[in-house]
Amino acid sequence: MLLGFNNMATSQSTVQFKMMFNNQTFHKDSSYTNSAGDTVQIHRFMFYTNKWKLITSNNDTIHLSKDHFLINIEKEQSMALTFPKLANATKIIFDIGVDSILNTTGIQTGILDPAIGMFWTWRTGYIMAKLHGVSPQAKTAGNRFSYEVGGFQSPYNSVRTIVLELPTHREKSKPITIQTNMANWFNGKHPIQIGITPNCHNAGKLAMQLADNYATMFSIDPSN
Amino acid sequence: MQLKRTIFFIILLVIICAGFIGINKNVSTAKRVPFTVPKGWPKPVYDFSKNPLTEEGIALGKRLFYDGQLSKDGTISCGSCHQQFGAFNSYDHPLSHGLENALTTRNAPALFNLAWQKEFMWDGGINHLDLQPLAPITAHNEMGEDIDNVLTKLKKNKQYPKLFKAAFGDETINTQRLGKALSQFLLTMVSSNSKYDRVMRGEDSFLLSEKLGHDIFKTKCAQCHAAPLFTDYSYRNTGMPLEPFLKDLGRMTITNDAADSLKFRVPSLRNVSVSFPYGHDGRFFSLINVFEHYRNNMQIGPTTDVLLKNKLPLSNYEIGQLRAFLQTLTDSVFLKDPRFSEPGIGVNSNPPLDQHN
Repeated sequence: MLLGFNNMATSQSTVQFKMMFNNQTFHKDSSYTNSAGDTVQIHRFMFYTNKWKLITSNNDTIHLSKDHFLINIEKEQSMALTFPKLANATKIIFDIGVDSILNTTGIQTGILDPAIGMFWTWRTGYIMAKLHGVSPQAKTAGNRFSYEVGGFQSPYNSVRTIVLELPTHREKSKPITIQTNMANWFNGKHPIQIGITPNCHNAGKLAMQLADNYATMFSIDPSN
Repeated sequence: MQLKRTIFFIILLVIICAGFIGINKNVSTAKRVPFTVPKGWPKPVYDFSKNPLTEEGIALGKRLFYDGQLSKDGTISCGSCHQQFGAFNSYDHPLSHGLENALTTRNAPALFNLAWQKEFMWDGGINHLDLQPLAPITAHNEMGEDIDNVLTKLKKNKQYPKLFKAAFGDETINTQRLGKALSQFLLTMVSSNSKYDRVMRGEDSFLLSEKLGHDIFKTKCAQCHAAPLFTDYSYRNTGMPLEPFLKDLGRMTITNDAADSLKFRVPSLRNVSVSFPYGHDGRFFSLINVFEHYRNNMQIGPTTDVLLKNKLPLSNYEIGQLRAFLQTLTDSVFLKDPRFSEPGIGVNSNPPLDQHN
């Protein structure tokens, strides 16, 4: 693993998240319609990611980083991650969420500082991902819906591992663009209706369903 | 040979000195304070290696504990709801008060012997002492503040950056250091000098009623309220009916497991005579109410503790002796210890008249 680090550190490459709503490029001020027919406007979308690694054509695993990253649609620079060169990789793998050990060892710093607001203070645990917005279908104050997904302990562990196949004839110097389809929060695996469940603020069944859903939202941009 | 040996020792000395310089560069020169485990007590669960106690760290924690700036409008400190004369409970309040007369939904527990406690809150939802203060700081009906705002206020303050430097080596103020400083102060709050402790150490002896009460306690109460901490830190349903307004399901809120419905953490009975009212929502006014609950008023449900399936039969005689014993758990040294008392107010503040026990 160490060898991998050293060899790869000679040049760098970028992973870029591209926010989408179905096949449209996402804009914060636009309204979209999800598969349930609910109209949504999204104001906040953040998620933690870590354990980035590559699988090479020889089936070797190359660990890219030990760090956690917080992807935030309000911070352009957070959507690009820089890693050592991604040569010869056939797959890219990462987790959505925060490593369980960091949920059980007191207060963390940096991007994991609870002051950032991706942390439940009334019950220990990181918010792995959150999606806030408004929808006329939400029967709540201000028609707001608010999904905050967390939970790090079985049977409600909301961490999800994402495996993406890289195109075989990829140009090595180009950034890898990962399309991130926010519409999948509502239908990736389980149908979610804002009119029925406008809020998720605890670990549990709904959080697990939302995590299953957004685990399907990533794909490699075909132009890669 | 002699020369070789001398050179070897000089090199060794240089390495050791360099090591010390390296250590001092990043870690503060704060003065270490040892943590003393009372004789016969278990090993603390708090990992002191990650947050060694220092005079400066404890002093900073104490200052933060009594600082209203941790709340949104500056009016509420940790000490507002954790008062020393009530063993740091919310004295005589079933539910404590937060910002703008908001009522909380649970009884603020007494604070002591936290180094032995693995999980916090009545439902055990918080898994580390450093994290615990973030709950009341951010709760809208308690201190109602954002962590980020607290950090901003502390950074702007003239004193705090220096105090953080003294405690942790540089002026960085972040959530982790806030939590660690508060933990350092809280960890020093050890209550182990009650009459019971003196009797166990052979320095004192029980009166007859206390001794009889102790014997009854050991057969009827100690399975859950186990010495020396007088709790086993488990979660149990003791037959308290669901409160129809608060609808608090306790441990189930955290685990989502129906088997945990209406289970709450077993509280320590140290200082119990001064830490009324009792129960997770403060529903019991006095110890007599608690005894009455156990022997008559319990509501047996599917998750009621197996030890209490037939309630807890107690005669009037037994209740009398138990009360005498429980009073020996009051640690008057702890309740008056100036190390823990609010700066400027001190230990001279007296609780209101006790009409409870």
